[in-house]
Amino acid sequence: MALLEVKKLGISFGGLRAVDDFSMTIEKGQLYGLIGPNGAGKTTIFNLLTGVYKPTDGTIRLDGVNITGKSTIEINKAGIARTFQNIRLFSNLSVLDNVKAGLSNHYAYSTATGIFRLPGYFKKEKAMNERAIELLKPFDLQDDAETLASNLPYGKQRKLEIARALATEPKLLLLDEPAAGMNPKETAGLMDTILTVRDEFGVTVLLIEHDMFLVSGICERLSVLNFGQLLCEGKTGDVLSDPEVIKAYLGE
Amino acid sequence: MKKFLKGATGKSFITYAMLIIAFTAVQITVSGGHASNMFQGLLVPFCVYSIAAASLNLTVGILGELSLGQAGFMCIGAYSSALFSVCTKETITSAWIRFPIAILIGGFFAALFGVLIGIPVLRLRGDYLAIVTLAFGEIIKNVFAALYVGYDSRGLHFSLTSQGDLGLEPDGKMLINGALGISGTPKDSTFIIGFIVLLITMIILYNFINSRTGRAVMCIRDNRIAAESIGLNITKYKLITFGLTAFLAGVAGALFSHNLSILQASKFDYNLSILILVFVVLGGIGNIRGSVIAAVVLTYLPEVLRSINNYRMLMYSVVLIVMMIFTSNDKIRGFFSASLMKLKGLIFKNKAVKEGE
Repeated sequence: MALLEVKKLGISFGGLRAVDDFSMTIEKGQLYGLIGPNGAGKTTIFNLLTGVYKPTDGTIRLDGVNITGKSTIEINKAGIARTFQNIRLFSNLSVLDNVKAGLSNHYAYSTATGIFRLPGYFKKEKAMNERAIELLKPFDLQDDAETLASNLPYGKQRKLEIARALATEPKLLLLDEPAAGMNPKETAGLMDTILTVRDEFGVTVLLIEHDMFLVSGICERLSVLNFGQLLCEGKTGDVLSDPEVIKAYLGE
Repeated sequence: MKKFLKGATGKSFITYAMLIIAFTAVQITVSGGHASNMFQGLLVPFCVYSIAAASLNLTVGILGELSLGQAGFMCIGAYSSALFSVCTKETITSAWIRFPIAILIGGFFAALFGVLIGIPVLRLRGDYLAIVTLAFGEIIKNVFAALYVGYDSRGLHFSLTSQGDLGLEPDGKMLINGALGISGTPKDSTFIIGFIVLLITMIILYNFINSRTGRAVMCIRDNRIAAESIGLNITKYKLITFGLTAFLAGVAGALFSHNLSILQASKFDYNLSILILVFVVLGGIGNIRGSVIAAVVLTYLPEVLRSINNYRMLMYSVVLIVMMIFTSNDKIRGFFSASLMKLKGLIFKNKAVKEGE
């Protein structure tokens, strides 16, 4: 069964139809790409999937469960985590604490346990610290654990965002332009990281990206979006050679 | 050791140590008979304002929401605890049993109101909390100033107009006498109890901040959208934080009311809320220890300057401005933290070398 099933998804902002009749199916373990020219509605789809916007039409099913119209928090608990196009870290917290915030719901203890330092506090915090370091390792961030998130270099901030999203133990990881602002060398490193993450953590990845080197390098399937509508869908190689797609990107 | 002192736990232990040293120093001075009456009279207010400021810092600095109603919560704590103590003065004779219960009652009622206000307001984004708490503080003050409560053999009587309206029997007893407030509260607040409560408050605050809940609250402050995306329940965490702030403000109010023989609502006006906010801002937003230091310094200063009465407020305002510059100017702060690092380097040098080996 498919992990994510999106059927006839649509949203209108007043008179503007931002996304219309968009359908997509992602299988478990797939590395899926969502591409399209600027303003095509890619980030809007991410916002629909994560409950930031409520869709006006259509349904979203994750692992067979209908999550259409649920809140961001419920959707995260159901198993979707994301990163943002403009990095959104908890900048005054350390790298470790950023990841621990992501672990928060899986290593829960009550506020009173925290205030009175009951045994549960030490047990859970210890487990949380260990898990957080484990999550930082694939991103080579374990040595920066005590650094403030805002003091990290740009590339590492992007990686930390992925690590934090993974901490919530998602089934589906959404990456919004992970390679934006990276040089070719950093992008190559990121591609390896994404592949490692997929294999090691067993997550399915859906990513938005403009960098065709990355898209053609790691994505197995692609959906192309243009003016809020699905232009074409299929295997990466076929999609990128489709004349319609080239026309949408480069014009006639 | 060096690493420990830099960490969160280390920071809190430095604060506890500072407080205990200050407490011991004061106790020695007082028992040696070197402290003036004025200074001794200020010891409980030091604790009261420190608790109020440190707890407000939780909402302002850690949660990142502005609250202008700290005096209102103190008022609720002060009245409810004083009422309890007045009623049970005869039945529970030991102050060591009665006063802790009174403090908890004060905290509980303040927290109750905090949560009631928080439920509608904390769902909103923006400065609504400041607006609502400002109004709340004023309403509470005026309600208590017009409240008459008495009891006689027929039970409790309430009125919001006058004492006569209660219709008390001749042997009835007034509990709250309108603008004249509550009189006859036992003077249970001593510096020792105040200090113990202050220390417990600091432990609660530091433990809260360094726990899962505190981390979630800071995440919400730093980036609300990202906090939602990792499944943190924004309203719940905001409510817990605001409730805790209100609880501790109520505790401060309880200490306050048991230090006065007559408790009047007019003391808990807008100026008191602003004064406590001034402590928080000057002590450093998000810096719990700073709030305590600012509260003590800025409570002591106006009293010390009484001898030069004409220039008192002038001096006070100069100190405010200087503190503001020192705590908010990055360059000056950078200079101080750099010198502090050098100093630490000198102290820990030998140890670091040994560890290196």
